[in-house]
Amino acid sequence: MFLTLREFRYSKLRYFLIGCIMILIAWLVFIISGLAQGLAADNAAAIDKMKVDRFLIQSDAEQKLNRSVITPKQWQNVSALVPKNAATPFGQKMLSVSKNGTAHKQDVALFAIDAASSLAPKVLEGKSLTNTTKGEVVVNQSLKEAGIQLGDFIQDFETDQKWKVVGFANGQSYSHAPVIFINLNDWNRLTKNLYYNAIALQVNQIDPSSITGKVKDVTIINKDQLLQNIPGFKEEQGSLTMMITFLFVIASFVQAVFFYVMTLQKTHQFGVLKAIGANTSYLARSLITQVGLLTIIAILCSLVFSYLTQMLLPSNIPFQLNIDTDIQFSALFLGVSLIGSLLSLYQIAKVDALEAIGRIE
Amino acid sequence: MMDAKLIFDQVSKYYGETDQAVTALNHISFQVHTGEFVAIVGPSGSGKSTLLSIAGLLLSPSKGRVILDQLEVNDLSSKEMSRVRLNKIGFVFQSSNLIPYLTVRDQLLFVAELAKNRTDQADQQAKRLLDRLGLTHRQEVYPDQLSGGERQRVAIARAWMNDPELILADEPTASLDSKRGRDVVEMLADEVRLREKAAIMVTHDERVLDLCDRVLEIKDGQLTQLSYKQVCTTDKND
Ligand SMILES: Nc1ncnc2c1ncn2[C@@H]1O[C@H](COP(=O)(O)OP(=O)(O)OP(=O)(O)O)[C@@H](O)[C@H]1O
Ligand SMILES: [Mg+2]
Repeated sequence: MFLTLREFRYSKLRYFLIGCIMILIAWLVFIISGLAQGLAADNAAAIDKMKVDRFLIQSDAEQKLNRSVITPKQWQNVSALVPKNAATPFGQKMLSVSKNGTAHKQDVALFAIDAASSLAPKVLEGKSLTNTTKGEVVVNQSLKEAGIQLGDFIQDFETDQKWKVVGFANGQSYSHAPVIFINLNDWNRLTKNLYYNAIALQVNQIDPSSITGKVKDVTIINKDQLLQNIPGFKEEQGSLTMMITFLFVIASFVQAVFFYVMTLQKTHQFGVLKAIGANTSYLARSLITQVGLLTIIAILCSLVFSYLTQMLLPSNIPFQLNIDTDIQFSALFLGVSLIGSLLSLYQIAKVDALEAIGRIE
Repeated sequence: MMDAKLIFDQVSKYYGETDQAVTALNHISFQVHTGEFVAIVGPSGSGKSTLLSIAGLLLSPSKGRVILDQLEVNDLSSKEMSRVRLNKIGFVFQSSNLIPYLTVRDQLLFVAELAKNRTDQADQQAKRLLDRLGLTHRQEVYPDQLSGGERQRVAIARAWMNDPELILADEPTASLDSKRGRDVVEMLADEVRLREKAAIMVTHDERVLDLCDRVLEIKDGQLTQLSYKQVCTTDKND
């Protein structure tokens, strides 16, 4: 600490500059991770929020919800095999709706669910969905921004349907569109009793293989598989993850090179320090403190900046910081910085105290 | 024998492989006594720095015994050498070699920090040394703002900081004009006598030799004592 702090104070500009670079990189990492999580939520929140862990879908559907077709016959077979409440079918369809009387269209993701099941959304405003009423819909709050209010009617020209908005739910989106919920009776009217998309399963109450053995052409996948196969999900997350990985590599290199060059410059000085009695481990600790301190300060600054960014971003930009991920990335950041300093540590260990004698700087 | 701070007994140093080794020191024996200030002179490449490195526990001798303050040190591990160095030896290097980012005062306190005794006593010691070497008004200054002479004085103060038994100086006057050089060596000599320690100084500067108790000349790794200084030595030792 003795050397660390004094060197920071003396070479302010130098450490300030490298600190800025680290802050910018870490900030970018947090922004991209916020974006990745924002997009993931925007794309998959409706599925993510379902309190079930397995989904039964058609085996030829390549694990894609929108391609899966479960016939009412299959649903009957499945429901006969499992206890009541352990399975519930649902339908999903992408639509373009408009508020009654206006021409402006809005993409929405329709989810048809059993209002008595665990899939029913929690309603923040208005009333909940029921299975008995006809033509009622609970929609995601974000539709308010499109001017839709309780009691308004929304219609879809393609399927010639009209629903009355009775409640607002929060954070329900799918495939970058706000979700609207209807009950299964309305769904059957819409699809003319033809199909559901999937069956949500409470797996702790049933043995999956007992179903797939008895019902033909179906397969059971977990939530993560279903999420990964939402159109665009894998691609979005994959490219953002790649960016984050690169940023980590860059951060590690930038810092490693900075400290390596500093160490090379100071070879003679390290020789002197060793000659007057500092051993390698003292100097190594001093360097690690420097790297650690610099990285921790940079991480803290960039976290503050990231949360400020979140506050300043307009709410329609999908951006979501998550404390767990922030902690993970911070630890990783510190980790790669310390790994990067190994090169300098090796250099320090190599310096001989003899450097100090018989040589002019 | 009891008051010998440093004893070299038949010390040899070879560099390189055995068949084509360079002999830097060849069976050298000498002693430095308490309160003695010894100069070493000799042509370039004669082995002066090598001798100083061995005396300063930066190098191990290839052969022979080195006894520092009653302790045989020629077989120590590098870790032990570093510990003994910290406690018993003070270095003054050719170009002062101060740490650029420490103020004059911190240069001294750092030595105490290394020895893990940063106490009030260390602060007092630093204050006393700075005062004695006329550096009190410069104590909050960084080395790049000091003159060459001031830097060497700081280096001398730093060397005394851990209260060493032996001071080793490698051409401490090389970067100074003759007046400054003489001041610096005078200070070194005074301190040695005052504290009853010992010092060895390698130098090319003939003008400061009269400040030393003894002058040893080294040539091709062999040691000879210069006769005209022997007179001086007897004078002073009596
Ligand atoms: N690391 C080394 N490897 C091989 N030979 C060395 C090494 N260091 C010194 N020597 C050789 O040992 C001899 C003595 O070197 P030393 O540095 O002690 O001389 P010096 O008297 O200090 O010279 P100068 O006055 O030029 O500083 C020289 O011949 C030198 O070439
Ligand atoms: Mg030399």
